[in-house]
Amino acid sequence: MNPVVRWFHQLGSPPYFDRFAARWAPWGYGLGTLVMAYGIWAALFQVPADYQQGDSFRILYIHVPSAWMSLFVFGLMAVYAAIALIWRIKLCEILAMACAPIGAAFTVITLATGSIWGKPMWGTWWDWDPRLTSELILLFLYLGIMGLYNAIDDRRAAARAAGLLAIVGVVLLPVIRYSVVWWNSLHQGQTIRLLGESSIDGSMVPPLVAMLVGTKLWFIGSLLMRARADNLHRESGKGWVTALVEVKR
Amino acid sequence: MTYQTYVIAAYMVFVVVLLWDFVAPRIRINQLLRAARLRIARGASSHSNAMPDIPHQ
Amino acid sequence: MIRSAAKALIARDLRMLWRRRGDSLQPALFAVLVAMLFALALGGEAQALSNVAAAVLWLAVLLAGLLALDTLFRSDAEDGSLEQWLLAPVPLAWLVAVRVFTHWATTALPLLLVTPLLAELLHLPREQLPVLLASLALGTPLLSLLGAVVAALTVGMPRSGILVALLALPLYVPVLVFGAGSVAAAAQGLDPSGALLLLGAGLVMASLLAPLAAAAAIRIALG
Repeated sequence: MNPVVRWFHQLGSPPYFDRFAARWAPWGYGLGTLVMAYGIWAALFQVPADYQQGDSFRILYIHVPSAWMSLFVFGLMAVYAAIALIWRIKLCEILAMACAPIGAAFTVITLATGSIWGKPMWGTWWDWDPRLTSELILLFLYLGIMGLYNAIDDRRAAARAAGLLAIVGVVLLPVIRYSVVWWNSLHQGQTIRLLGESSIDGSMVPPLVAMLVGTKLWFIGSLLMRARADNLHRESGKGWVTALVEVKR
Repeated sequence: MTYQTYVIAAYMVFVVVLLWDFVAPRIRINQLLRAARLRIARGASSHSNAMPDIPHQ
Repeated sequence: MIRSAAKALIARDLRMLWRRRGDSLQPALFAVLVAMLFALALGGEAQALSNVAAAVLWLAVLLAGLLALDTLFRSDAEDGSLEQWLLAPVPLAWLVAVRVFTHWATTALPLLLVTPLLAELLHLPREQLPVLLASLALGTPLLSLLGAVVAALTVGMPRSGILVALLALPLYVPVLVFGAGSVAAAAQGLDPSGALLLLGAGLVMASLLAPLAAAAAIRIALG
């Protein structure tokens, strides 16, 4: 059998996945932290201040990668959910549900940093501009998926129901985004918000790339860790969990 | 508030949220493993599936 | 087979509803109450009300429909008929579509009929009424279809009221935006037909996809 295919099958075995996740999660966290540390340092101390926005544009280095992650994770969650629903692969159910809190966390960061960035720009902590409004709705979608997952007792049915909601959400997400943009142009005219509109100097790019990569690496670590926790929870009471704990003693 | 305060605030939000993201699954895993250890100590059979529902996040 | 199953389901639903025909007035009464509460909260002054009348009416209808979602599958889930649906020789999605249609006709249509009355209560400018009715006519079935998916996901859950709202409202946003927005556009002198066409297109898509998604959700919930 093809070694890649065999490895996929092995991952489906709960004890194997537990060992795999325990081994590789630290790499995700560690590498992610290193790359992000460089990114943050460079963003704060290396990059020159922006001509138009002064130092506050440094927030971009947190806001943009987080916004990207909030959307990327949602899409990935929907993909895992689709695989889980179509092929009934338990591991993908777990992975899909593990994505949700991480995506929600990045959405919260996006909203908070967007708001903090906006305060000196707009003078208020909140503005119903299309991007922030869409992110807020995205947060509700995430929370809804997590809420639905928690509300159903049977873990497999819960993951499949919440996964279906994720798929519905990902299909509607572009519609929601478009509707909010349309709404914004209807009620507030064609004012283009200045978030991220300044021209990008070459030296400004590397920290952004670093943050984009670093957040992904971190996400891998976090995904594995949360999937491991869910896996253990579902399998608690099984022999291999007992054996695992006995070995640790 | 100078721009600096805003920038620091934004980066602090980032760090705090990621910190939570790091800690939360660890706590849950530790709780689950501890519960498994308690089950062994009580001599419960290894094929009982009665698991107290530990809230996660 | 398909058509006879549809007729049988519609007949049964209408019969069950007829036994409790007072209930079908409830969404309309709720909408009137919501309109009244808005008027009370806003101060009752005609100009202030007419500025927000279209939006308030849209919200009143939307929220009434949201509450009415509870009855979409509940009685069938409780008495086991929903499991019979799974075993029927007709596609589950078709049964869902028929049920949603009947539900819309008996909960949202009364709302539409009551809307001109509500419009008077809230001093809606007369010229906005046709666009408002058109947007509601296209929007409410769309809301019913989206709501059906959420109701199917939570079918059988004992205390799902708030959860249903939390799940459905983000999905309702585009419908609300284009629905209320079409009236706002008309009020500004712009052409509302773009927004209305989008609602129409959404309705067509949802008529095909939402029953399928809801059927999948019911299978997950009962399977």
